[in-house]
Amino acid sequence: MIATDMQGEPAAPVAEASRRGEAYFTASQGQLIFARFKKKRAAIFAAFVLGVFVACGVFAPFLSPYDPTIAGRNADYTNGAPQLPRFCDANGCSLRPFIHKVERYRGADTNFRWVTRQTGTRDYLTFLPRGWEYRVGAISWDLPGETFDLSLPGIAFDRHLFGVETGFIHLFGTDATGKDIFSRTLHAIWVSLSVGTLGVLIAFSLALVIGGVSGYFGGWIDTVCQALTDAVRTVPTIPLFMALAAFIPQEWSAETRFFFISMILGLVGWPTLARRVRTHILAERTADYVLAARLAGASPAHTIRRHLLPSFTSYIIVDLVISFPYMVLSETALSFIGLGLKDPVNSLGVMLQNVTRVDVLLNYPWYFIPVPIFVVIVLAFVFVGDGLRDAADPHEERR
Amino acid sequence: MAAFVRFIATRAGMALLTLLLVSFIVFSLMELVPGNCAERYIAYKSTQGQIITEADIRAEEIRMGLDRPFLERWGGWVWGVFTRGDFGESCLWRVEVNQLIGDKFLLSLGICVAALVLTYLIAIPVGILSATMRGGAFDTGLRIVSYLGLALPNFLLALGVMLASTVLFQDTLAGLFSAQYRDAPWSLDKVLDLMSRVWLPIGILAWSATAIQLQTVRALLSDEKDKLYVTAARARGVSGARLLWRYPARHSLGPVVNSIGFDLNRIFNDLPIVAAVLTLTEAGSLLLDALARSNDQQLAGAIIFLLTASIVAVNFLTDIVLAVIDPRVRAGLM
Repeated sequence: MIATDMQGEPAAPVAEASRRGEAYFTASQGQLIFARFKKKRAAIFAAFVLGVFVACGVFAPFLSPYDPTIAGRNADYTNGAPQLPRFCDANGCSLRPFIHKVERYRGADTNFRWVTRQTGTRDYLTFLPRGWEYRVGAISWDLPGETFDLSLPGIAFDRHLFGVETGFIHLFGTDATGKDIFSRTLHAIWVSLSVGTLGVLIAFSLALVIGGVSGYFGGWIDTVCQALTDAVRTVPTIPLFMALAAFIPQEWSAETRFFFISMILGLVGWPTLARRVRTHILAERTADYVLAARLAGASPAHTIRRHLLPSFTSYIIVDLVISFPYMVLSETALSFIGLGLKDPVNSLGVMLQNVTRVDVLLNYPWYFIPVPIFVVIVLAFVFVGDGLRDAADPHEERR
Repeated sequence: MAAFVRFIATRAGMALLTLLLVSFIVFSLMELVPGNCAERYIAYKSTQGQIITEADIRAEEIRMGLDRPFLERWGGWVWGVFTRGDFGESCLWRVEVNQLIGDKFLLSLGICVAALVLTYLIAIPVGILSATMRGGAFDTGLRIVSYLGLALPNFLLALGVMLASTVLFQDTLAGLFSAQYRDAPWSLDKVLDLMSRVWLPIGILAWSATAIQLQTVRALLSDEKDKLYVTAARARGVSGARLLWRYPARHSLGPVVNSIGFDLNRIFNDLPIVAAVLTLTEAGSLLLDALARSNDQQLAGAIIFLLTASIVAVNFLTDIVLAVIDPRVRAGLM
């Protein structure tokens, strides 16, 4: 492999080449993967996009001008169209972006029905205004049973990135109750990503344990584990989710639901990775270093954890990235049909629940704004995962 | 021949074992759910104005056999399913589950299998084409489309199609039958009516599966098409589509045939949700109803079991087919 590496740099001075060669040989697996990953422009771009969206999710409270729950609603602007800030209108231009104020109006010309209409008054954007209060680092888990309840007060903040001097600004419009779709979307990204993360972590631990044990011990343990894996893999997961999710009592709190959904996602999502881990360990367990570890008195758990799994890390990480969007999509699908998360929590599925009605489709197209955003996030994940998979594959080196 | 019979027998045995295990998983999960069937039924009765006591619940439990140990009840259920195809009585509706499921399950299965066939009809030729034109504009375009297939789940596509059709044609294209045939008995006209509408759900269901399968076919063929035996065949004067089909395509499609069962799984996954979007009251939403609205454990269990059984059956069949058509697999058996 070093030969191909040098051929690529024929003009480089000898010292430089040997330094590079040395760097190549002393590089860790992770550094090598990263070096190969950096060459893929599409994947790098996707990683950048993904980073931006994850940041949007993490800083959702700061970025969103209004509380995404019913508390932050704008009762005077329900089903309102998106308001885009602009610099110019009939009265000339200004350096500060502004939107036009809206007012509720009823008169003879509208048949005495309430309508919302735009006025000519400008409403200038302000930056870093004080708004609704949010807490950073606050955790309040209220799970069934007392042992797992956790409550941290966190630190209160009330600064937001932007707002308007008076009244409201709705970049993506508002929904039927007047909640700001922009704020909801940002929070939805955060919730969907966290459900996915939790689900992936659970699936991941299960896969490592089951795959590891199955591969390391072989024999009848392997047969039993494989039968179980196959059985779980054959059951169609969404119907199974539905069966389980349907039995979530209505009175469970939003957090409990959240944990339950993540748990189900994790409990059904492990077989593919478990199979891969098992195949790898089965092939690897007769290697000399495993024998050495065993002779040195290492327990099976220790051998699997410290010696066998690390030789497989890159694939495991790639698998994580690839399976992540599926978790997120499953959550969305579940919430969409009303079995997953419910209203005070914002997730994409929750936001899409109302969209199937024809009048909504026709009259309020801005309900769809979250959809392309979400598709972009999943696409970014797929691209990053794909790039990582190529980078982790040592065969790539030879091409 | 004897080896082949033995192979079929072991495969059949494994399929049965998987089904048994699945039935155990499904049964246990249904059992974990708080509240049993008797309580729910009695609760329903109490809303009808009857006064219910604790003793009534116990009596009902004994009548339903819910007081017997878990394993015994699972055994009874499995025995009924395997010997008589009897799934018991629906918890809520008080009718035979078979009667409730009826032709709805067959209709759903038909739609899913049609989507599966469509998937392969598109994915295999297009995937092969894409692999032979690797790197070109066609290939790149396809790659982007198939990434979209991963990122735009079927239910979002269904929503998009609904939006477009509503805006363009003022017709939502929803439902499997037009109004006059919905409750009519089966007839030629009803079948024709179904045919005029069913293509949309089939196409939507095939969308993601096709996207994923396209990638697989392309990757498999790309690995295979530059191998030495292909060059050798070319040197002998075989070329074009004939070369492709006789050697690398045939070789590389084994894993694709093998994964038919899991593609069916993928399509089943999407069915209830797509059905909810397109309001296919006749097919997938039975699932949704059984699972979500009425909390009917018996019905839900039966449906999930039937879905899984179809997948297991398909897996079994593909194993056999693969052994028959692929000499390498056959050699492995003997």
